[in-house]
Amino acid sequence: MKRRLGIQLPQLVILVFLVSMLGLAFRLDISLTSLLGDALVRLVMNGVLVLSLVPMLNAGIGINYGLPVAITAGLLGLCLAVNFKITGLPGFAAAVLFAVPLATILGYGYARILNCVQGREEITATFIGFSFVPLMNYFWAVAPFSNPAMLWPIGGKGMRPTIGLRDYFSKELNTLWSFHLFGITVPAGLLLFFALCCLAVGIFFKTRTGVAMIALGENEAFAKLSGMNISRLRILAVILSTILGAVGICVYAQSYGFIELYDAPQMMAFPAASAILVGGSAGKKTTLLHVILGTFLFQTTYVISGPIANALMVPEVAEIFRMMITNGIILYALVHEGKRTREKYAAS
Amino acid sequence: MSNSKRPIILAVLLTLFSISGVFAATPSYKIGIVTPTLSASEDEFRGAVLVANKYPGMIKHLVLPDHFSEEQETAITQILSLGDDPEIKAVVICAGYSGILPAIEKIKAKRPEMVVITAPIWDDPDMMAKYIDLSLDTDWVQRGITIPTKAQAMGAKTFIHYSFPTHMAKEVLAKRRDKMKETCGKIGMTFVEISTPDPTTGGGRSPMLQFLQEDIPRQIAKYGKDTAIFGTNCPMQDVIIAKALELKFIMPEQCCPTPTQGFPAAMGLEITEKDAGNFAKINEQIKEKAAATGTTGRLSTWPVAVGYFFPEFAARLAMLKVEGKLPSFDLAVIEPVAREVAGVDVRFTPMKPGLNNYFLIIMDSIIY
Repeated sequence: MKRRLGIQLPQLVILVFLVSMLGLAFRLDISLTSLLGDALVRLVMNGVLVLSLVPMLNAGIGINYGLPVAITAGLLGLCLAVNFKITGLPGFAAAVLFAVPLATILGYGYARILNCVQGREEITATFIGFSFVPLMNYFWAVAPFSNPAMLWPIGGKGMRPTIGLRDYFSKELNTLWSFHLFGITVPAGLLLFFALCCLAVGIFFKTRTGVAMIALGENEAFAKLSGMNISRLRILAVILSTILGAVGICVYAQSYGFIELYDAPQMMAFPAASAILVGGSAGKKTTLLHVILGTFLFQTTYVISGPIANALMVPEVAEIFRMMITNGIILYALVHEGKRTREKYAAS
Repeated sequence: MSNSKRPIILAVLLTLFSISGVFAATPSYKIGIVTPTLSASEDEFRGAVLVANKYPGMIKHLVLPDHFSEEQETAITQILSLGDDPEIKAVVICAGYSGILPAIEKIKAKRPEMVVITAPIWDDPDMMAKYIDLSLDTDWVQRGITIPTKAQAMGAKTFIHYSFPTHMAKEVLAKRRDKMKETCGKIGMTFVEISTPDPTTGGGRSPMLQFLQEDIPRQIAKYGKDTAIFGTNCPMQDVIIAKALELKFIMPEQCCPTPTQGFPAAMGLEITEKDAGNFAKINEQIKEKAAATGTTGRLSTWPVAVGYFFPEFAARLAMLKVEGKLPSFDLAVIEPVAREVAGVDVRFTPMKPGLNNYFLIIMDSIIY
């Protein structure tokens, strides 16, 4: 039963850690309601980015360490929406609409490269991400955007490293239909958006193509024998991941209130990858539960450990504990995955 | 020769003389200016571009690799190439990195007459004073006294210091924190130290920024609006200023005091190409936005970016030195040049007692 719920030993360890920290926060008089409100915001803020890893994981391509490619498409969409001065919810919608076709194009190119390096996708993706960021740095520095709120304050040309969304669509989803429940601010609009994204992915994996993609991830040789177009399925998975990543950064940026350009996307793949591993996705088949559970556990440890660490006056200790536990679980997940892969190869 | 031709010949001769005069007025030397890339630090980069535009043909602008610490060898080779160019008589390095001194030592060994000014680099101060003609830097530690004092004058009763373990392991930043604590104790302000997730570990800077977004409202709810918030890391400033506009607390100074850090993103300043780099206009816009958000008197910084000021100031001093108009870098001589370049008073203190070629600066503040 536990297994079916996706909660295994590592998740139990982190849950116990979380609950004991919540207890400590309660004793230290830290407002639990505000902590829980923050945890809900963080779940969605990072959740869509974590969700974007699912298609590539399920198609057997591995963790999308090239997430910066997807993020760049999203950032371009956000910048276009701000450049045309579209405000409020339409501004956010426009950013997503601009981002999707860009993500499709970038995702296609990215997929073609990954198809050339089958078996070494994760390390290749990491380097694609790392080399794409500096390439985009040149683009941002010379990009012909015209809204003066986005341009360098001294040079007057090229994009600023951070662009404020206060006058555009900052926190539009966070405040949409948000209500208070037992003192907790529930960002209903934000949660609904995340639920819709999850639903879309869930439905996709129930379709013929989705099922074929999972089959490809489970056993490539079998998929090949049953006449599936493997290359096409892999390309589709990468494009889907890229599109979701682009939407993810739009959600992230509106919630954070700033668009962050230049080197900001460089390390963003790692928290997302950590979250999905913490969620228990150690093998090929990754479910929505892994995404939600992983993001919630990983981000909530951040939300709670900070205030507790500072209240206890030994700031380093809780930070060290948090890092030990989350990194330990990631290590466990990777070892577990390695074991499964070895067993699979031994059997075949 | 007919009389009618004389004026023409005279005019031709005059033109030739004046042209040669122009050439004679353009000095026959060059100054190398080294800065980080545009994306690593706009201020220094644009400062160097400004100098290059002011003195066309006299400046060779070199840009260091984006990830300096990973490509230090490339950086050293780049700097050494300046020493190989006989036209270059002075090198100005505005980079804020550690590990550049070996390149300067090599240049000085080869060409002892080369004037080298750093503004700033962060190597061992005694070694720097030995090899570098003039070292300039911001007075980071002294700001541990000036910032809380200014915050109190702006009405603060509590002073919050946000930082993280890697920053607090840096001597200068830890010393400044200690000075802030000490000053707060002396002037009767509560000092609160808060540790954020470390941006140098795995997850990058987003966990730190998300923590700030969540924690600032908690602290303001606890200590009230008359609280000054100071963060030791550049990306923090966007969030701190944005939250100051929302919660009306005091932001006495950023980690790198300049109107171009934090304010443009947090306030959504619309700076046209015409006004870009015009600090008077930018300050005016910040004032207007502060008034519109009810934060007049709650935000402050230095009126000019130090990083933008240093390249021009250092290049001017280098020129005076190369042209033999500056026998030594005496404070009485360099202070007026600093005032002329910055447009406000700049105070210099020796880095250590007895050092007469390593000075730290503090500028006058502007309260919006």
